[in-house]
Amino acid sequence: MKHLLEYGIEPVDSHVNQKTDKSWSIKDKLLLGLTPGQYLGQALRNPFNWILAIILAVGLPLIAYRYFYGLGVVTHSSNDYPWGLFLGFGLFCMVPLSASGFMLGTAVEIFGRHDFEPIERLALLNGLLGYFFAVVYLLVDLGQPWRLPYPMFVSFGPAAVLFLVAWHVATYLSVQVAEVSVAFFEWIGWLGGKRFIRRIAVGLTVSGIILSTLHQGALGALFNYAPGKIHPLWYSAPFQWIHFFVSAIPAGLCMVIVVSTIIKKTMAWRCDENYLDNLDRCTLGLAKGASLALITYLVIKFIGVAHDNEWAYLATGWGAWFLLEMAIGVVLPIILFAYAVRHQVVKVARWGAAITVFGIVLNRLNTALITFNWQLYQEIPHLFEVIIAVTLFAIYVIVYRFLLYRLPILYSWKEQTEVAFSTEPVSASPTRTIPSQAYNMSRNID
Amino acid sequence: MSGISRRRFLAASIAGCAATTLAVPKKALASGAFSGYPDSMGVLVDLSRCIGCRSCEAACNEEQNLPAPALPFNDKSVFDQTFHGGTQKRRTDENAYTVVNRYNPEGSEPVYRKFQCNHCAEPACLSSCFVNAYTKTPEGAVIYNKNVCVGCRTCMVACPFHVPAYSYSSAFDPAIKKCIFCHETRLKNGLPPACVDICPQEALTFGKRKDLIKIANQRIQTNPGRYINHIYGENELGGTSWMYLSPVPFEEVGFDPNPGNEPIISHVKDFLSTVPMVLAIWPALFVGFHLLAKKQDGHDHDAEKQHEEEGAE
Amino acid sequence: MSFKKIYALLITMLAVALLGSMATAADMPDRVILDSMSEMFEAVEFDHTMHTEFGEDCSACHHHTTGTGTTDDRCVSCHATSDEVATVACRDCHIEAPFSSEHINQKSLDVYTFHIDRPGLKAAYHWNCLGCHEQMDGPTECEDCHTRTARGDAFYHINATGSSAEGGH
Repeated sequence: MKHLLEYGIEPVDSHVNQKTDKSWSIKDKLLLGLTPGQYLGQALRNPFNWILAIILAVGLPLIAYRYFYGLGVVTHSSNDYPWGLFLGFGLFCMVPLSASGFMLGTAVEIFGRHDFEPIERLALLNGLLGYFFAVVYLLVDLGQPWRLPYPMFVSFGPAAVLFLVAWHVATYLSVQVAEVSVAFFEWIGWLGGKRFIRRIAVGLTVSGIILSTLHQGALGALFNYAPGKIHPLWYSAPFQWIHFFVSAIPAGLCMVIVVSTIIKKTMAWRCDENYLDNLDRCTLGLAKGASLALITYLVIKFIGVAHDNEWAYLATGWGAWFLLEMAIGVVLPIILFAYAVRHQVVKVARWGAAITVFGIVLNRLNTALITFNWQLYQEIPHLFEVIIAVTLFAIYVIVYRFLLYRLPILYSWKEQTEVAFSTEPVSASPTRTIPSQAYNMSRNID
Repeated sequence: MSGISRRRFLAASIAGCAATTLAVPKKALASGAFSGYPDSMGVLVDLSRCIGCRSCEAACNEEQNLPAPALPFNDKSVFDQTFHGGTQKRRTDENAYTVVNRYNPEGSEPVYRKFQCNHCAEPACLSSCFVNAYTKTPEGAVIYNKNVCVGCRTCMVACPFHVPAYSYSSAFDPAIKKCIFCHETRLKNGLPPACVDICPQEALTFGKRKDLIKIANQRIQTNPGRYINHIYGENELGGTSWMYLSPVPFEEVGFDPNPGNEPIISHVKDFLSTVPMVLAIWPALFVGFHLLAKKQDGHDHDAEKQHEEEGAE
Repeated sequence: MSFKKIYALLITMLAVALLGSMATAADMPDRVILDSMSEMFEAVEFDHTMHTEFGEDCSACHHHTTGTGTTDDRCVSCHATSDEVATVACRDCHIEAPFSSEHINQKSLDVYTFHIDRPGLKAAYHWNCLGCHEQMDGPTECEDCHTRTARGDAFYHINATGSSAEGGH
């Protein structure tokens, strides 16, 4: 795209082509206003796409293999470790990292912090895609994925924690689709839909908070079914769900920081002034919130240790691993965020966010895979399982990028012919700079 | 946001809270309070009697139409097999619903242990299944319905005995595989399971669970020094239908000596109780926050100041 | 006493001794055919006469059911003065199907029986036999006494070669 932008091509950001005054068709909008040849050209020139192509070339056949020959051909068929990377990473890691949806939604719609609006849509999309792909991972992991709707429609086991997770994820996905659909309705030009969603925005957001609290907690409560199987330092009978819920908060916030940083570095041409100008301020705001949550999490983890009198475990090998996870994943980001907020250095906050994301992933993998069955033996996931997990993540990135390129998430859709309604969000940028100027400006921003 | 929708939303949320709180209360049964149906059957496994002949494995294989094994059932070399770097003995899997393992406790002759699903009174698998695929029958068997199973394998995570296995080899019809107490073919017709029937040493005693406890206590009492004075499974994890007597301490023959007497569901009950609380409290709490955060027209200090400034110009 | 009377007494005593020994000899089987599992195992021919030469008295195998009584500590407290029982075959007290629902229900209702833990026939045979066999180098492996039929070979999968995945992991 850099190449094309230097030639003065402008990606679609309104219903009407600025240069020819003709309306963009859906096909034009999908191709960002480029000709198919131009679009293909820019895709082929992007080295990241080569990496994605290799991953897909190896991974997609393996996924087909899994479906035609059973889970046994891509996993170790372990009866002691029934859950592997698909759930360990795809569900347990992706879901807390997608908590950004309800966090930013709450901040903006409930608490009225409209200063976070420039990144609100990104956070909502991050949340939607994370949950959606958690379901995709689930479809690869389930023995009979075609029976996914069974706990909803066929046979109910309401006493099971997973029942709650299934219902909540399904409902929450609908809530998130509704929240992100605002951007979609702008893009296709159906403002009636957008108005309807905006009217129920508070209701949607409150539903989102309820559902998120419960299913983020429920994912933790799932491990309450196996109290003897997880190492005591990662398992707390009364607090497991609270630990998971509280850690989901910094996870979601930091994922937004990380993704927004990657976007700034790789896709700044798609971002408008509103996004780029406010990003640093928003990042520091998110960092403040994340650091508060991390400090809380650190305290409640040690309350958990004290409650069950597990101090002696800290002196063991597993104890050292626990302290390392806390030090790198929790304490270090707290220090980095404190410095970043105090001295207003965004770069340090970004590093803190990346480390936090790593820390959350490590915590979930520790709980679900690494310290699971700690008294038995260690299980390393099958290579094919790793490849498929990476492939699904690559598809997630592709879909994420596809939507960010097109929908008005990072930029404002220009409504020349529509009258502004009172329900519209306060996000329209005052000066309508064309993306290529904004892109050039962004190159001067650190 | 317009006033009308806020009012409507509040009304709807109050109605929702009322609905959850006014649900007809059912008779509450605490977890760990169910020790089984009164005439539930059970099996007493006496490890001092087992000689490791593996006839029970053969009988189960035939009764449940399992695939042919790799080695004959009278081949005792299987007792030397280990897995995962020599740390694990044989376990149940999709082709073997019960296995016998040999243990060599110090200062004792080899002890053989048959293990299979213990058919708990309040099973972890049943409690954790979100499609209600498991049923605890009045005869005592914990059976499984493969027609609703989605293959999430939470039951395998939940079972404290690591019993359920999954047919990972099947692409289109996988299922959980475990001992079903020969429910379909024998138990519901009043017959003992195949393994009990074939055992030459009567290491397996079939009967009503409550009678088995009496028998086990009498056995311990009339054979002083022969058994550890404990019936494993009488109270463990809420009580199991298959109970064990051992001549050596239980941890030396592959048992977890302290799984606790609470059924697994006790560990999730507190979280499950929180759910309706959150559903009921969160709406009012966050709508309340929203109302507090939203600036009221005419009372906004900044807006007033702005009006003053504009008026002065 | 006259010679006639002494002679009559002697004849009577001899007759009683002869009849008495004949009676026990007639009741005691020479060989017992154990064939309750004939589907999978050939019948086991149990040489009773040979085994009577090993035991000190009948109670070694027949508990307190015969006239020679028992000295087992666990039994004498109740059975020291028990009479001989009409039949002493194992199967008369140790039933072949101890886990039938009728027997289980009957046991459950019968609150006065002490012997709630009485083994069935298969266990009775094996426990009684294996103890001495282990001490006296008798047959102890299953195959030493039980020859499998073709059906038995199929049941134990004797011809499994070890090529497919063994039950385990």
